[in-house]
Amino acid sequence: MIRSPNPDLDLTISRVIKAPRSTIWNAWTDPRSFEQWWVPAPAKCKVTEMELSPGGALLTEISENGGDFAPHMNACFLAVDALERIVFTTCLTGGWRPAEQPFITAIISLKDHPDGTDYAAHVMHKSNADRNMHIDLGFSDGWGTVIEQLAKLVEKRAQRPA
Amino acid sequence: MPLDGIFQALADPTRRAVLGRLGTGPASISELAKPFDMALPSFMKHIHFLEENGWIRTQKLGRVRTCVIERKQFAAVEAWLAEQRAVWEGRTDRLERFVTNVQKEERSK
Repeated sequence: MIRSPNPDLDLTISRVIKAPRSTIWNAWTDPRSFEQWWVPAPAKCKVTEMELSPGGALLTEISENGGDFAPHMNACFLAVDALERIVFTTCLTGGWRPAEQPFITAIISLKDHPDGTDYAAHVMHKSNADRNMHIDLGFSDGWGTVIEQLAKLVEKRAQRPA
Repeated sequence: MPLDGIFQALADPTRRAVLGRLGTGPASISELAKPFDMALPSFMKHIHFLEENGWIRTQKLGRVRTCVIERKQFAAVEAWLAEQRAVWEGRTDRLERFVTNVQKEERSK
């Protein structure tokens, strides 16, 4: 269930992965497996909490350049439907407590596909600042256009002989 | 330049109005301050904030300080969603590799 996607703030990654849903589900829900793919090497990920039910915490730490583990993601599961869907958000922490720094809600979905599994991640971002900017400057076609138009304006100005 | 500051600079209507004005060309501080019912020191705080976060450059010529918009900062904001996409693409690549390897191991058992 995705209501009115926002092209400036949402992104969707979808991929047919040649593995059954159960294998992908396990890679996602087994903390030791999750740690092996969540962050790019050489950084290391450690799952300190993964409580797979609505309201449960998803807490990870990261070690970069061989340093100490530091807090990375502090999220809350919103839906965990076995083999089908995982929804989590960083707008809440474990136990549905409002987060200090809300950032994303992600919907991970798994569907059967003749070649394996149709895997999709839909990620919705929070960003009030750019939306406000967009309204104030009076442009109407989205953030990308705002930047383009403003950049053009600035460039034109720069090209004008002094 | 941390993205938090870049966005925070945009989170204020005065600062956005200043950027909107500077999008049409350089302007002096007094010219920029004119539309705002605000004491100059308060207005200068906004100017400094924009300058610290790389949205504008200021230059003093004689007694007049002129502000110019920095266009590279707009590119940084534009690159932001692309960066988020790269993070999730990478994550999906690694998940794919991981589960494909798991399957190979299971088969060879």
